[in-house]
Amino acid sequence: MRSYIAFCKKEVLENLRTHKVLILMIVFLLFGMMSPLTAKLMPEIFKSLALDGIVITIPEPTALDAYAQFFKNTSQMGLLVVLLVFGGMLSNEITKGTLINMVTKGLSRPVVILSKFTVASILWTLTLLASFATTFGYTAYLFGSGGQPNLLFSIFCLWLFGLFLLACLLFFSSFTSGNFAGLALTAVSLLILLLLDIFPRLHALNPIALASLNTALLSGAAQVSDLSIPIGVTLGLTILLLGSSMMVFRRRKL
Amino acid sequence: MNVLSLRNVSKRFGSLNVIDGLSFDVEEGIVFGFVGKNGAGKTTTMKMILGLLACDSGTIRVCDEEVAFGETATNRHIGYLPDVPEFYGYMKAKEYLTLCGEITGLSNAQIRSRSDELLNLVGLSGVERKISTYSRGMKQRLGIAQALLNSPKLLICDEPTSALDPIGRSEILSILSAAKKYTTVLFSTHILSDVERICDRVGILNDGRLMLEGDLADIKSRHRENTVTLEFESTFDLQEVQRTFSELPFVSSVELQNRSLLVRMSDTIDGNHRLLEHLTRLKLPLLKYEVGEPTLESLFMEIIK
Repeated sequence: MRSYIAFCKKEVLENLRTHKVLILMIVFLLFGMMSPLTAKLMPEIFKSLALDGIVITIPEPTALDAYAQFFKNTSQMGLLVVLLVFGGMLSNEITKGTLINMVTKGLSRPVVILSKFTVASILWTLTLLASFATTFGYTAYLFGSGGQPNLLFSIFCLWLFGLFLLACLLFFSSFTSGNFAGLALTAVSLLILLLLDIFPRLHALNPIALASLNTALLSGAAQVSDLSIPIGVTLGLTILLLGSSMMVFRRRKL
Repeated sequence: MNVLSLRNVSKRFGSLNVIDGLSFDVEEGIVFGFVGKNGAGKTTTMKMILGLLACDSGTIRVCDEEVAFGETATNRHIGYLPDVPEFYGYMKAKEYLTLCGEITGLSNAQIRSRSDELLNLVGLSGVERKISTYSRGMKQRLGIAQALLNSPKLLICDEPTSALDPIGRSEILSILSAAKKYTTVLFSTHILSDVERICDRVGILNDGRLMLEGDLADIKSRHRENTVTLEFESTFDLQEVQRTFSELPFVSSVELQNRSLLVRMSDTIDGNHRLLEHLTRLKLPLLKYEVGEPTLESLFMEIIK
């Protein structure tokens, strides 16, 4: 337990001093501010384009458009930034050899995985919350405070999907070598999940729903019940991935 | 008591037999020099002792407990200094030692006192820079400090001096000699003068086996050449002496080298006495009398031939 806390502290310090927290916060706060603003300014932007002869009419933007922007940004660019920031959290330590001193001091290897997951999850949670709070405030300011249905649930889904990606990163880094193999395999699995979404049968199970149906949940195009199976699957996979990475990493050559 | 003991340890990488039935013991309280050329398998052996690599066969025991691959409890007895120790560059030395101490289970008070003591020992106390700005020598010294933090029974150093300049090397060697008071040291190197300076026992690894193992002084006396170097005052006619000496019954040959004579004898101890008698009787103006000592270097070259 003591070594778990010690290694978590080290992870926090690392993320702070290597500016990862700063990068995450800046990017996510920017998304938080930009999303409602883009939604609000969209008609203006189109007007200023002044395409000769073509008249584009877009309906007056609403709070829903602001959240649609927000979920589009965070589920695509946002998750990409998360992957890039945390992509090397385990593999860099393996390639550099910084874990050798720790492990020969008696640090248990599952604790390495667990602390890294803990700290990355906490940072992901905080940045997502900060970003969401910003969007929430700006949207209320620009569009008036109208409550959106399923807003918190939708954020929860995206959050859970983020945790799933972090578990993927740790799992794939636990047995591959090189700085980018874990990141690359996570990206490949994400691609596979996207491709699998084409099949209607798998659609109902696919974790990708947690990061793609967010806006639909707000507009009412998707129901909370539609996501209960993907949530279960994602939760199960996350636990499975974490458990297996601990097992695999135990016997890994360092 | 043996702090470390290897029995018939073998390790293959593909078709390459890196370690082949290696057996040796390291007694408590000594500095054991683990010598071998690059690629002889020194690092592989050390990584197996630490459970970082699996052995294909054989057993390794540390303080009478068997080493298991992966997570091994025996590591609590060991302090390890890798050849190029890697640290978290964004930390300061004290922060790093605190992390190590917490992981290894020291109390906060112990961590504080041990860190101060060790940073003092390795000459890094008062250095408030981040580790990423350290020179190689400083990193190596911090490496020793972290390895000694949990007062290990066995300190394993993998070529700690190889990448350092003469000053850095000398510093590390004196720190290691000082560490001998507290712990047993297994010290791998291919720099033979380092071994001669601090090691009590030496093992020479070649082709995956120890070709020579034992007390350094013993080995040297066992391989002592029967030679004596004589130096005379410059005005002296050496050729004349060379002639008379080579006629002596216990002398096998006499070589003239600059201002000195290299006398080879058939028997060292007896020969020495008789040579000395001879020298006093003739009242030769002798400046230097030196019994030939084998260097570790010459032994090493002979063994790995």
